[in-house]
Amino acid sequence: MASTPHIAVLGGGSTGAGIARDLAMRGLDVTLLEQGNLTHGTTGRMHGLLHSGGRYAVSDQASATECIEENRVLRDIASHCVEMTGGLFVKRPEDSEEYFEEKLQGCAECGIPAEAVSREEARAMEPHLAKDIDKAITVPDGAVDPFRLVVANAASAQEHGARIETHSTVTDLLVEGGEIVGVEVEHASGPGKRVHGTEGGTEEIHADYVVNATGAWAGRIGDMAGLDIEVRPSKGVMTIMNVRQVDTVINRCKPKGDADIIVPHETTAILGTTDEEVEDPEDYPEEQWEVDMMIDTLSELVPMLEQARTIRSFWGVRPLYEPPDVGSTDPTDITRDFFLLDHEDRDDVSGMTSIVGGKFTTYRMMGEKISDHVCGKFGIDADCRTAAVPLPGSEDFSVLRDYMAEFGLRSPIGRRSVERLGSRADEVLKTDRPNPTVCECEGVTRAEVKDAITGSGSDLNAVRIRTRATMGNCQGGICSHRLANELHQEYDQNVVRQAWDELLQERWKGQRHALWGQQLSQAALNYSLHATTQNRDHDPADGDPVDFAAFDDGVAPSDGSGATDVAADGGRHGD
Amino acid sequence: MSDAEESPTFEPVAPNTGDEFEPVDVFPDSDDFDLRPGADSCYKCAACDTNCPVAEVDDDFPGPKFQGPEQWRLKQTDDDYTVDDSIMSCSNCMRCDDACPSGVPLSQMHNTARGEYVSEQMDKLSVEYVRNRILANYRTSAFFASKVPRLANVAMNFGPARWLMEKTLGVTSERDFPEFARETFREWWAARGGADASRSNARESRQRRGEPTDSEKKVAYFHGCYSNYNTPEVGKAMVRVYEHFGYEVVAPEQRCSGTPMFANGMLADARRHAAVNVSSMSDLVEQGYDAVASCTSCSMALRQEYPELFDIDGIEAVAANTFEALEYLRINEDLTGAVREAEVSGDLAEEFAYHAPCHARNQGLDRQAVELFRDLDGAGIEDVGESCSGISGTYGWKEEKYEKSMAIGEEMFEHMAHAQGEVGMTECPTCAMQMEHGSGYEIRHPLELLEAALVE
Amino acid sequence: MAIESDVLVVGGGLAGLTSAITAAREGADVRLVSYKQSTLRHASGLVDLLGYTPDGEGPLTDPYEAMAALHDDHPYRTVGVETVREAMALFDEVTGYQGGHTDTNALLPTHGGTVKPTARYPPGAAAGVASDDRDMLLVGLESMTDFDAPHAAAHLDAAGVPFAVRGVTIQFPGDLRADAKVTRYAKQLDTNAEVAVRGRNRPVRDALAERVNPLLEGEERVGFPAVLGDDRADAVRAALAEKMGVDVFEVPSGPPSLPGLRLEDALFEALDESGARFETGNPVVDYEGDGAIERVFVEKYGTKIPISAAQYVLATGGLVGKGIESDREAVREPAFDCHVPHPADRYEWFDVDVFGDHAFAAFGVVTDATLRPLDGSGAPEFDNLRAAGGVLGGYDYAAEKSGAGVSIATGYAAGRNAAREVR
Repeated sequence: MASTPHIAVLGGGSTGAGIARDLAMRGLDVTLLEQGNLTHGTTGRMHGLLHSGGRYAVSDQASATECIEENRVLRDIASHCVEMTGGLFVKRPEDSEEYFEEKLQGCAECGIPAEAVSREEARAMEPHLAKDIDKAITVPDGAVDPFRLVVANAASAQEHGARIETHSTVTDLLVEGGEIVGVEVEHASGPGKRVHGTEGGTEEIHADYVVNATGAWAGRIGDMAGLDIEVRPSKGVMTIMNVRQVDTVINRCKPKGDADIIVPHETTAILGTTDEEVEDPEDYPEEQWEVDMMIDTLSELVPMLEQARTIRSFWGVRPLYEPPDVGSTDPTDITRDFFLLDHEDRDDVSGMTSIVGGKFTTYRMMGEKISDHVCGKFGIDADCRTAAVPLPGSEDFSVLRDYMAEFGLRSPIGRRSVERLGSRADEVLKTDRPNPTVCECEGVTRAEVKDAITGSGSDLNAVRIRTRATMGNCQGGICSHRLANELHQEYDQNVVRQAWDELLQERWKGQRHALWGQQLSQAALNYSLHATTQNRDHDPADGDPVDFAAFDDGVAPSDGSGATDVAADGGRHGD
Repeated sequence: MSDAEESPTFEPVAPNTGDEFEPVDVFPDSDDFDLRPGADSCYKCAACDTNCPVAEVDDDFPGPKFQGPEQWRLKQTDDDYTVDDSIMSCSNCMRCDDACPSGVPLSQMHNTARGEYVSEQMDKLSVEYVRNRILANYRTSAFFASKVPRLANVAMNFGPARWLMEKTLGVTSERDFPEFARETFREWWAARGGADASRSNARESRQRRGEPTDSEKKVAYFHGCYSNYNTPEVGKAMVRVYEHFGYEVVAPEQRCSGTPMFANGMLADARRHAAVNVSSMSDLVEQGYDAVASCTSCSMALRQEYPELFDIDGIEAVAANTFEALEYLRINEDLTGAVREAEVSGDLAEEFAYHAPCHARNQGLDRQAVELFRDLDGAGIEDVGESCSGISGTYGWKEEKYEKSMAIGEEMFEHMAHAQGEVGMTECPTCAMQMEHGSGYEIRHPLELLEAALVE
Repeated sequence: MAIESDVLVVGGGLAGLTSAITAAREGADVRLVSYKQSTLRHASGLVDLLGYTPDGEGPLTDPYEAMAALHDDHPYRTVGVETVREAMALFDEVTGYQGGHTDTNALLPTHGGTVKPTARYPPGAAAGVASDDRDMLLVGLESMTDFDAPHAAAHLDAAGVPFAVRGVTIQFPGDLRADAKVTRYAKQLDTNAEVAVRGRNRPVRDALAERVNPLLEGEERVGFPAVLGDDRADAVRAALAEKMGVDVFEVPSGPPSLPGLRLEDALFEALDESGARFETGNPVVDYEGDGAIERVFVEKYGTKIPISAAQYVLATGGLVGKGIESDREAVREPAFDCHVPHPADRYEWFDVDVFGDHAFAAFGVVTDATLRPLDGSGAPEFDNLRAAGGVLGGYDYAAEKSGAGVSIATGYAAGRNAAREVR
């Protein structure tokens, strides 16, 4: 081979990161471009279900079979991102018996281990299930942390020489003589790691081939070269509960319907979802009825949800794609399969293939298929190794339990940290300095925060998705300023302030949908802490200069040394 | 007393069983309560941490917020998630419950975690386990000791024996074991004629008070172990004071309230004792008795810990109808008026340095003795502040906790020294031990002073 | 009735305590019942009157002057500026706080590195005022993530403070675990415990001063996170000041907040001295009475215990203190079910901007001129109920920096009005 082909992969979601890793491992020169953080688009906005395939076992057996295969692969290569919770398809008395049987049958046909269990058995597994459920089917569903998975894929790609650029928006495709030869990119700051306040700029990146893995944004990229890619974005709401009401994925055993799944995810449970087509993947209504429906409908399966605390809701946009001749009107009918659109074959514009549709669970396989396709273009004969080589953090995960005492962490904090870091725990958590907990809700220590800052620059939202800091019940009320403090050891105070404000704003965005009861009380507390105690809403460093001389300079009439004896704890009657 | 208002307007209402969804009755046994939902109320303010006397002196103890809502939220139900061993440093003072503005069931979380730790993770052959089990089952030791009180009093505090106990069992030799009474409360009660005698005394009082002699004023006395074996004078005072107000007293069959067992994570032991107590008390509650305790930890156990931790028939009704001895009279009688008109002389005409036990504080009783006796002629009372005494039942008896226990108590000792009086007062027998140990003062129970003031 | 008094105050925070102290000093027989610990423990311990106008203008130099321009329904307008002054005088007297020598606000450094306008500050914070031009050293503790001294110093510098400020980070002497609570530090300093420093035992106050001394570069005042003692905070500060030859102050933070805790203790002490009675630990859940409250019920373990009084003060706090509650449909005041105006659509309870104009921040009861909560039609809910503090609506205390001041002023007015009714 004369020279190594340079591939530009657009989109830092699971698909893009998976492709970047695969191509880089095969020895190609890769640049990954993402407009926001990694997982900024759909990947960061999903319920975190690792499909067993059970969900598609009746309606789409090809997808179901792929799911169970990839489910097994991910347990292996991404063990530190996956929690094998197991799943249940729960039938209520009003749900169809016939469908229940079809589900069992379908699972058998697709090679998905499934078993019918009685109400009693199901409730022994999940005590908070409604007393009046009928029965259930067990399947090997799991939970997966999409942030960790994508960050690990990107890190692996980087280890294999890939360049990863986040906060870099593709503004144009470079087209020369009917061939796409690269992209024009607007870096928000950088290039390289994002640092607030660093001047960005435009860069032309020439590539031998471009892979458009931008999901719901694929049409927008296509437009830049006059290509018509008809992605049909479909929004779905996810509501996050403060604690895990269930430790097993709970699916409603119905053909289709909104609000039919609960995924235990880390410390939380995520309720999903709806399926409604939208025009624009970035601009769509986020509505109250959607949140209410999650709670009201899923309470039929787990009644305590009705009273439980939700900490936020978010919406994701599925990048659904349907070949032009099908014509489904209901987004739930659109296939979850993925499609490679080689624009040379399809539109006579060479140099780019788009990948659309598909599911998170099969991201690796999609990466494999498109990498095969790209390698084919260049006549490269390199095997895909992504199914066999563990991701960074998932190597030799079995030694996990020995770590905790060694790091001097309390049991559940140590356990959570090590689960997040996997085989990197040693490298990250071993420190001879004090290692206090920064985010108490999620048990995130300073060492882990520092590691994330090293990996992602001054972007606290990037630190958040790497560590889960601020993702617990206080939603950053107690620890946002602590994270800002940690940033200051590397970055200047004005960088820190911007990152801090951006984090506060991001945390507020999703929390708005949970503002009643306990979470409204929490929000009021957070508001008091940030505005009253920290005066974050009127930071004098941001505004007009303050005339300090016009204020009390503290000269008290007495000696001013504070001799007044303020009684204190226990001092009501004592000294 | 001239106040002829005979019918108290107070009517206990049915317990709050109502509208809340009851998630858990399919758990195989109630040790397995899933308390993660309890973390829903926490908004991380850490008021509980500022109220924790242990975290103040022992940074190996990470405080109630971590041990409670944080640990429960981070923990998963699978077996790989162990309870952090620092849970054993919690003294179970339960002050965190009193602190939380959000109503997180902190002590329930601690009790449950401790139970889980002891049953799943603690070595049952370890000295610590054996020692804790012995301390938690004080009633058993006391039962035997009370058979030979004089011998026991000498033997238990015999120097070489104490040295050996510290070395082999980890029971501190710094403290003197409490003395056993020559005659237990129950022996006295039986010799006095039991419930029959009480009924006739109560009728006499009602007559004197101008109340109908057949009025339904009857209480079941939960005296607890300590009043029975060590300070029967408290039990006697309780009986006499209640009879003075026209109440018939019964002393039903009872075991340990479970307080020391909760504190040591011995939930199975506690449940066994609780079953007996609930069974005998709920029978009486059904017949219109209210349960009254003179020890604030006992009333705490019956009111709060039982329903939080156990699922025993009748437990809610017992909890809703249990009261502390002074509290009950305050609610149902014009106790303030009676005390205001009374005068005390003799032995108890003293200035008292009063300490409110943590468990009294939890029931909202921390100020009632001060409030009541402030108006009593012949005696004075001064609150020595809101700090914890530091002993927390069995906590301060453990060799490795002794110094921390004394460090917690230091504030109280200082305030006692500053207070005018040289006699201490408290409702809790183990706080009394600590007060005596740290100050050298004699310690009395409010019921004793009430008896001296009201009963001729 | 067995348990009764002239005035019953429900709630033991800043408003409730001020109210009970005031009523008792007016000669009423007062009882205060409170449920859990107050939100004072969440708060910085600084007492703000008014730092910004509702339109965000500020920092204000003269809060009293700005009060006059507030909208009619603002609690300060309800009680009147004169009453605010009287209330603050009472507060000064019982707490020993500073700042009362002038009407002008002080600017105090926050643990986030901003300065904020406040009217009163505890003696422990006094040496930190930002209009004082003496150079400042801030000292952070390595395990204490809430306060990063170099960050705060750089931030203060960016705000243009009239002095040079530096931040350093040290390890607290001794071998405390990284997650030691603030009360642990305070206890060490209160008792001047011996700690091991390079194999030698030293009293902790000495050891701390010795650790900071070599880092001083001529600064005249040194700020620490607010952990400098609890019971003996003054002695701790004085000892450090002496050993370091500088003025020592605390930078308030929270929660948990030792300055808030100390303020709570000072107020309870004043309450006790006023002769009022108080009990804590159980919530008021119900009441009887139509037009006027006859008695309230305190719930204990499933039993409702009656307490009665001639006059009642509602000082249960706002959304944080749980004096105001909500669910997906509505906002309510749980103790007496007083009317709480709020938009029917819960998506109108907030602004999309994190520091936007949040409706929820002003949720609470509205009152007449004597602080009696009004029902939906504008008539008093009860003849003998007054409200004070966070349970009041109509002002955004966080944005205005007016929470403590409103609690003190309305607590004072409610307590005084209630006591005068029973006279």
